[in-house]
Amino acid sequence: MNSEEPIVFAVDDDASMQEALSRLFRSIGMQTRIFSSAEEFLAFDRPNAPACLVLDVRLPGLSGLELQRELGEVDIPIIFITGHGDIPMSVQAMKAGAVEFLTKPFRDQALLDAIQQAIRRDRANRKQRAELVEHRVRYEALTPREREVMALVVAGLLNKQIAVKLGTTEFTVKIHRKGVMHKMQASSLADLVRMAEKLGVSTPKE
Amino acid sequence: MSKPDRKLRQLLSSYLVAGLSVGLAVVFTLLSGSAIKDATAFFFCSVMLTSWYGGLWPGVLAAVLSALALDYYFIPPLYALGVGPEDAADMIVFVATAFFISWLNGDQKRAKASISKARDELEASVKERTADLKKVNQQLQLEIAERKTAEQRFLEAQTEIARIARITTMGELAASIAHEINQPLGSIVTTGDACLRWLKAQPPDINEAQLAVEAIIRDASRASNVVVRTRKLLRRGERLRESVNINEVINEVLNWLEVELQRNEIRSRIELQEEVPPVIVDRVLLQQVLVNLIMNAIDAMRTVSDRMKELGVLTEQHDSNPILVRVLDSGVGIDSDDMSRLFEAFYTTKPKGIGMGLTISRSIIEAHGGRLWAERNDGPGSTFCFTLPIGKESEA
Repeated sequence: MNSEEPIVFAVDDDASMQEALSRLFRSIGMQTRIFSSAEEFLAFDRPNAPACLVLDVRLPGLSGLELQRELGEVDIPIIFITGHGDIPMSVQAMKAGAVEFLTKPFRDQALLDAIQQAIRRDRANRKQRAELVEHRVRYEALTPREREVMALVVAGLLNKQIAVKLGTTEFTVKIHRKGVMHKMQASSLADLVRMAEKLGVSTPKE
Repeated sequence: MSKPDRKLRQLLSSYLVAGLSVGLAVVFTLLSGSAIKDATAFFFCSVMLTSWYGGLWPGVLAAVLSALALDYYFIPPLYALGVGPEDAADMIVFVATAFFISWLNGDQKRAKASISKARDELEASVKERTADLKKVNQQLQLEIAERKTAEQRFLEAQTEIARIARITTMGELAASIAHEINQPLGSIVTTGDACLRWLKAQPPDINEAQLAVEAIIRDASRASNVVVRTRKLLRRGERLRESVNINEVINEVLNWLEVELQRNEIRSRIELQEEVPPVIVDRVLLQQVLVNLIMNAIDAMRTVSDRMKELGVLTEQHDSNPILVRVLDSGVGIDSDDMSRLFEAFYTTKPKGIGMGLTISRSIIEAHGGRLWAERNDGPGSTFCFTLPIGKESEA
């Protein structure tokens, strides 16, 4: 999953800055896609690959900070660049989860370091998101009875208690439990609890 | 002494006068004997005196006493009361005349009293009104003082606002220029970094490096264009230059600062040469220089108390020489240490100054082809002088 080629997006309304960024990324052999406005970036159908966004603060139309708000914190890590940044602006950007806030002119290494960090963060985010999707698929495959058993197991009940609760035998519960562990591909009870937490599985109501 | 007390005493003394004067009349008449033909003369005197002094009723008393005394001492039968028929007419005439005199005098006295009362009342009411007026006047003075303080505060606030506005505008201008220049600089640095990478690559990509350098050159010219544009923007002000009579501008500025001069009790000595040739200047900038120099002069005299505070503004011009403008003050003067740094940016001797006034003033005057300098006076204070070339547009 981590073998995918990362891609750097950049939004800057200044034509020569666009050119300079694309030249820099090209010189280190990095895949890039450059936009001249926030709207253009939003309309673009992003490929499924680890990515980050290099974003100019001052943009015509939707500003960089507004785009950040629109995208939310986990969607894509953002590195801000600006021609004239002030402290409140950078604080706002960092608080909203930006990876870095660079003032032009900046050295390439500062930008590339930030990009590395952003890509790492996006990979982790993506991995988490992918896992969640995977877990959901597995969970969907459970029978209704197995889901009931799973909820009670992760709530910490013993097989005997579960059997009483569901009005069945301990043996049947054991079979369902085995089925749950197998279908969810959980290696241990702890693993199963972690998945249940992420999926938001809770104890069914009495 | 209370009022009724005084009245009573007056009344008593009036009746006393009646008794005494009639007594005296008896004595005088007896002493004079046959020397006077008419025995009634002294008694008339007595009635007149009493009624003049005491009014109607003491007069009547004196008349009655006189009649009795006359009857007793001078009308037969002597030394006994009782009037014979031959003297009755005389007696009645005397009594009637005496009563009449009393009434006349009493009436006059009453009239006099009422006039004096009216006068007293008038005086009292005038006094009262005067006191009222004084009070109102005091209040007015107080309000005037308050108003003056408020005006002064307003003026100070206005000056402060103007100063802040200037700084803010400068700050904004600087920010926008910084952004305009940072944009191409950002591209240059990034492209330069990329270029280095192309050159360091194995094998180096000369073609890409060349393209990068070309982009750098293009962006650098763009940055330099920003500078040129900014300079043009600032130079646009120079097109506002017009033919101006310097004396008019000086009078204008003095008018504005009139309040400030009065408030600091500064006398102004304005000696403007008649018929000065026009100068080609930016009127607003010239006003700025004059306001600055005059305000400096005022500031320099603020603490002076042992001598006359005098502001001098003089113009002179001879032949085709530049016009010379001098602004003199009798203030604290400039010590030699300050003198050498006077025109340095951000150098100030004022607690609230920013140290730009003289720096800006000098650059304005120099931009108009003139000079601005300071001199120490022979007496107290200092003089700031500047020149402006006359007639045609002068390029700095």
